[in-house]
Amino acid sequence: MSQCKVLVVDDERDFLESLVRRLQRRGLDARGVDTGMEALKLVAEDPPEVVVLDVKMPDMDGIATLKAIKDRDPKVEVILLTGHASVGSGVEGVELGAFDYLIKPVKLDDLIERIRDARERGQLMRRAFS
Amino acid sequence: MLGLGNLLKSLFSGRLGAQDQAALAELRARLARRFLSYRNLLKANSRALTIMAELQGAQQSPELVAMARLRSAATEMAVSVLAMIQELERLAPKRYPALMERFNALKQELDQLVAGERPLPQGPLVVELGALCVGSDELAGPKMATLAQLGNRLGLKVPDGFVITTAAYNSFVEHNGLRAEINRLLQIKGVTKVDELFSACSALQRLFAQGELPADLDREMAAACERLAQRHGPELRLAVRSSALGEDVGAASFAGQFRTELNVAPAALGEAYREVIASAYGPQALSYYHHYGLRDQDLAMAVGCLVMLPAQAGGVVYSASPLDPADGRVRISACWGLPKGVVDGSVEAEEILVDAEGGALERRTGRQDRFYQCDPSSGVLSAALPSELRDTSPLSNDLALKLASQAKKVEAAFGGPQDLEWALSEAGRLVYLQCRPLHRQASAVAQPLVDGLPDPIISGGLTAAPGAAAGVVQWVHTGHDALIFQAGQVLVVERPLPRWAPLLRWATALVAGQGGVAGHLATVAREFGVPALLGLGPDLERLQPGELVTVDADRRAVYPGRVEGLLRARPAVSPPQTPLRRTLEQLIALTVPLNLLDPASSQFRVENCRTLHDLTRFCHEQAVHEIFSLDGQAFPVAGARQLYCDAPMQWRLIDVGGGFTEEVSGKYVRLEQIASRPWLALWQGMLAVSWDGPPVTGSGLASVIVQSTMRPELESGAGWEEGNYFLVGCDFMNLQSRLGAHFATVEVLAGPDPEENFVLFTFQGGGADMARKQARLHLMSEPLEGIGFTVTIRADAARARRDHLSDAEALDSVRALGYLMIHTRQLDMAMADAGMVAYFAGKLRAELAGLVRRAENSLDP
Repeated sequence: MSQCKVLVVDDERDFLESLVRRLQRRGLDARGVDTGMEALKLVAEDPPEVVVLDVKMPDMDGIATLKAIKDRDPKVEVILLTGHASVGSGVEGVELGAFDYLIKPVKLDDLIERIRDARERGQLMRRAFS
Repeated sequence: MLGLGNLLKSLFSGRLGAQDQAALAELRARLARRFLSYRNLLKANSRALTIMAELQGAQQSPELVAMARLRSAATEMAVSVLAMIQELERLAPKRYPALMERFNALKQELDQLVAGERPLPQGPLVVELGALCVGSDELAGPKMATLAQLGNRLGLKVPDGFVITTAAYNSFVEHNGLRAEINRLLQIKGVTKVDELFSACSALQRLFAQGELPADLDREMAAACERLAQRHGPELRLAVRSSALGEDVGAASFAGQFRTELNVAPAALGEAYREVIASAYGPQALSYYHHYGLRDQDLAMAVGCLVMLPAQAGGVVYSASPLDPADGRVRISACWGLPKGVVDGSVEAEEILVDAEGGALERRTGRQDRFYQCDPSSGVLSAALPSELRDTSPLSNDLALKLASQAKKVEAAFGGPQDLEWALSEAGRLVYLQCRPLHRQASAVAQPLVDGLPDPIISGGLTAAPGAAAGVVQWVHTGHDALIFQAGQVLVVERPLPRWAPLLRWATALVAGQGGVAGHLATVAREFGVPALLGLGPDLERLQPGELVTVDADRRAVYPGRVEGLLRARPAVSPPQTPLRRTLEQLIALTVPLNLLDPASSQFRVENCRTLHDLTRFCHEQAVHEIFSLDGQAFPVAGARQLYCDAPMQWRLIDVGGGFTEEVSGKYVRLEQIASRPWLALWQGMLAVSWDGPPVTGSGLASVIVQSTMRPELESGAGWEEGNYFLVGCDFMNLQSRLGAHFATVEVLAGPDPEENFVLFTFQGGGADMARKQARLHLMSEPLEGIGFTVTIRADAARARRDHLSDAEALDSVRALGYLMIHTRQLDMAMADAGMVAYFAGKLRAELAGLVRRAENSLDP
């Protein structure tokens, strides 16, 4: 099976770099950007299968980025990742179409499992619409 | 698109045209989406149930969970349940519109419970101490409010000064956007281990240190300093003291847990203020919240700014004995210089016992060679005590009697024994700096005689907190030593400094060379119920690191080894009801109880879903119904086929692609028609070793598992149609087995790519007899770990998982699982008898090893 194409979006540079590195080491085709705007650009140019998206970011936050991604391409699956657990924002994210809402710190194995699940859904959706 | 009817006709006639092929492909894609929805729903279900089990575990445990964990647990549960509702909506669009209504109602309650912002105190940012009236605790913090009462109501001398209020604290937190960041750090870092605690604290405190004072607060602080300078002269210096909300909750005194900055120049007040409010998140304070179950949002800190008194002497006075409720004598600790020497335990102070009525005095002289004084510029310094003062008492008999009678006056006014910090001004006046209720802990009444006690390693010192406990000696000199401190050790320190307070959460006993009963660390030891023996002097050096000792604080001795005869149960000191416990219980009430028990009952309806568990139960039930509806009319390919092996069995299989050797029509599927390798492996495992119990055939796996849980009310069948549902693919298998509150899953992917392969087994049994269930889970987990599974057990739920393995390894694991599941019943019977446990553990290991060997032989002929 081909490598899973993942985009990680997080304004915390250290976290971003280490997560991308760890995902790559586990065989995923991962890359990272640190703003919502850059994420949107990439989604338009070279769409990933799954976006792992930090909720709290300056300027364009995770929820706004999620909305924009889903507007542009509903088949891109988004997993929200947050350091600020809140029932309200979790429910809002999932209602807006996020595949899941995970809370930091998250175990790498759990994250990868959710990425795989999200990818599977995306593939089935693509098949359905093609 | 081809009509379904035509497609069916074509299928059964065996003549498929190109159009039919396309239609069939589309049908398969639709089915694949349905199964994916079903699988995601099951995963979300198991995530929600795992967290519910964790909460129940937390409720039974005396250890507290942090508020941050409750917040993230509530969020994860809500998100999982919403995911289930969405997947059910995909399976059956618009069939259950009331679900979202129920969910939103519960979500709102959860949100209020865990977001839990305390209403912000309203009022001025700065208040003069003399202007504080009774009932200003919320604004000024209990410590400053009480001090104001000493002056304003009882007419005792207290320093002039002002309070920077809790309203100011909140304005600082808001101004710098700290609230969300505090919650995030507490959530990410966790505070259950020493190193986690210290790392969380240093990050939190940095936030405060780097924060900016709001402009109006800065102005008001400067104005208040200006007014004080007009009354006390331009050389004004301040003592900046914490006065936090929550300090008064339960029996918590927070003794010495917050920072005090002494002799601060008005120009440096902003910095000192930030230091003091940052100490709200110091390691001492955080472990205190943890111990007392305060929620982080309970905390807001007011700060008192009092005129600094260059005291000639000072100390602490207890209006009664902290250890013996029958002893009403006043106990004074006194030292030369600032009272800091007594409260931080750094000097061995003079102890004076005063019978306030009779006037009798009893002195126990100290050994003071250094004292604290104000540095002429700012701050305090420790200096050698002039030799002519070393042999004199810092407090005359007259002053000691006066101090004792004033302490009794405060005790009477406040309705209980008090703990006051006092200073003797250079003009010879008694001034009070702090006042709080005295935390008392009764010593063991009589010391029972114990035969054959070994010779003590050390004896003497002062009983600072009663009790006896054993543990390994751990010396702590530096912060680094503190980081490697382990739970269950005896904490040995030269000086009982307040900074070691966080370690008392983990220490069995405290031993120190210096210090007395009135120090902060001694107070904390009493509150935490940790036996403490202080002031042992240079003999302390005899305690060797790593040595096992028994500390008996009441006998005032440390013995070698573990002396069982001396050990006494540590008294329960946690207040039974704390804000955090209440939040945990409310959270459990909204999520865990299961009211929808019987799917056959007319009460099994959305409207009756009162908890998140009910919602998961309802969604799960309906999803199973949608997927496995046996009429199979809507989706002929999807129809579940019942396994036929000599006789019809309660196992139903659905082919999700390559699971069967051929297209199977009709009601049954025969063993030889099954191609799914994981399914066949599970089957082999189940039949590999003959079973001592009733025959497996004809009885569902669920019933085997469920019968083994010893819940008679479920054995008779709780209305759920017994059965086990398998989704099978060529390399894939998913088993869901549920009856009543019991739930088991096996999911396997055993394909060509080891990176993707996994084997997952979860089992949960709800309800009674937790001890036995946990024993069984642990017994099951040992052999699973032996063959490479990672097993986690939470309350009564077990989850075993292997990742990144070859298909052959995955199939071996599945065989082992099959074997274990069938033998669960035997395990449970074994649980009743301790002797049987060892026997079965051995039998399991041996048979499992044999099973894997046999499998190897059969795979590699």
